[in-house]
Amino acid sequence: MKKIRIPAPVWTVGLFIALLAAPFAARSQYQQHIMVMTLMAAVLASSWNIIGGYTGYTSLGHAAFFGLGGYLVAWTNNRYGWHPFISSWFLALVVMVIALIMGWISLRTQGSAFVVVTIAVVFIFRLLALNLSDITNGAKGLTQPRPGWAGIPWSPEVIKIPFYYIMLALLSLTIFVSWRIRQSKFGMGLIAIREDEGKAESVGIDTMMYKVLAFGISAYFVAVAGGIYSYFFTFIDPSFVFGIFTSVTMVLMAILGGRGTLWGPILGAFIMAPLSDWIVGKFGGSQIHLAVFGGILLLVMLFMPQGILPTLIEFLNKRAKARNVSAGNPS
Amino acid sequence: MTIPSFHLFVQTLILGGLVGGVYALMASGLTLIFGVMRVINVAHGAFLILGAYITYELFQYFKIDPIASILITMPVFFGAGWLIQRYMLSRIANPEQTSVLVTFALALVLEGILGFIFQTTARMVTPSYTSDAFIFATYRFPVTRLIGFGTALLIILLLYLILQYTNLGRAIRATTQDPRAAQLMGINTSMISAFTFALGLSTAAAGGSLLSIIYSFNPSSQADWIARTLSIIVLGGMGSIPGALIAALTLGVMEQMTSIVVTLYWSPIVFYFFLFFTLIIRPQGLLGEIIREKG
Repeated sequence: MKKIRIPAPVWTVGLFIALLAAPFAARSQYQQHIMVMTLMAAVLASSWNIIGGYTGYTSLGHAAFFGLGGYLVAWTNNRYGWHPFISSWFLALVVMVIALIMGWISLRTQGSAFVVVTIAVVFIFRLLALNLSDITNGAKGLTQPRPGWAGIPWSPEVIKIPFYYIMLALLSLTIFVSWRIRQSKFGMGLIAIREDEGKAESVGIDTMMYKVLAFGISAYFVAVAGGIYSYFFTFIDPSFVFGIFTSVTMVLMAILGGRGTLWGPILGAFIMAPLSDWIVGKFGGSQIHLAVFGGILLLVMLFMPQGILPTLIEFLNKRAKARNVSAGNPS
Repeated sequence: MTIPSFHLFVQTLILGGLVGGVYALMASGLTLIFGVMRVINVAHGAFLILGAYITYELFQYFKIDPIASILITMPVFFGAGWLIQRYMLSRIANPEQTSVLVTFALALVLEGILGFIFQTTARMVTPSYTSDAFIFATYRFPVTRLIGFGTALLIILLLYLILQYTNLGRAIRATTQDPRAAQLMGINTSMISAFTFALGLSTAAAGGSLLSIIYSFNPSSQADWIARTLSIIVLGGMGSIPGALIAALTLGVMEQMTSIVVTLYWSPIVFYFFLFFTLIIRPQGLLGEIIREKG
């Protein structure tokens, strides 16, 4: 049988068209809501993957950038009336500068020490958000007016639609940048750092520069998503956005799908985001969803540390090879 | 900002020092585990809270004194630690890279289950001596903190004696220094790892019981405790028990000072600050070796 290969651009464009039409296929607002959350999760996982996957530095600090983006957007919206759909993109640049400084300091450490330092980053920002209550409104968090445009609020029936498309735009941009990085010399450098940082340095890669840049870029999209998120919910809760759990969900989705691959984190997000919403819905306000999340992470780490996509590809390759051998034409 | 009077200053030193002893016990197990296995057990905070809840239940239903319940919780945690190491941690491929994520997952599971059972209400174990205090030369010594401090030092001393004077302790120390050489000398290092993890978790059991009479707790407070204990072992030097003791007393006092001079709400900044900057400026901490670099 002749094998039919669908070229990558075709299925990418096909997927994109399907995603464009998706909100109108939704049967309820709730489904649209989950679609928005799934796209956001994909942005987070895919963006985290730039530092956590390509470069191999497991950051548990990205919740800080998510929260910072959210707070900046909420604050400027309340104070100056800046529309979050526009301000998110610019304010995330501010977060990116903060991330570059944080990265420049923290990327001196490696391995577990780096993970611990990034945990500390999240704790520090949470403490600031809780205590600088003149700006952040303390533990009560910040609220925003109902979403709308030019002073006219969007009608409740279609309110999810604009959020869906702006998240889709953000996700497309994130995937595009991630893909471009993967193809570029910069991306090769990042992968070299992951494989062997000492050797990467000895062949002339400015490893510090590369790592800090990757950290900054990876923080940017997370911050934009945080800004849009705060408007979507019109509320931002310091203990949630500046919580290690928020960071861990990004890590879990990326690892589940396959960290370091372009599509793995997206796959992970498309599995985990609807699943986690279902879990939270099923068990209500109880904390059992933490246990389910932790359990999945544990299982993945123990039995499929490479993630779904690489495991699948390896399996298919092995099978193709076996078939070739049995057909008498070894590769 | 308020500048404390001399009397308040000394009182703060006393309170901070006493609680620092308890921190030292909590951190000693964590640093021991890191020393032998190069595993940062991020679930340590969750195990502390689990220990605190077990102590709470034992006190509530069986009227067992929180200090006496240490004799129950320690062996249970020892066994649990043994099993977790044998059947979970020993399976992970690249512990220095992935152990943080695995133990973090474990912490989430524990927090989720505790939250499911106990909800988020803050609890505290209140034996009859909860609000008693000795007054010595006008300074207050709360009984719970005195008991906590004394018990903690006793257990640390025991731990020290085990490490220093038993064959098992020698094997543990040898494994800390050079796992391969230790293995070549005939030490069963995988057994030693299991034993160390078990020992480390049993200190968390004792720490949890002491925590329950000094602080109020709920399932999500595990994050605060992991921040506290991590910053202590990072400052003291990962793997060093004397380092953990010094760092715990220092940070205990600094935390208490911050809560007096600034406000209670800012006091955790002490831990986060040291957690962030120690690893960057002096990765080996006060007394310890540089964390082995990746690759």
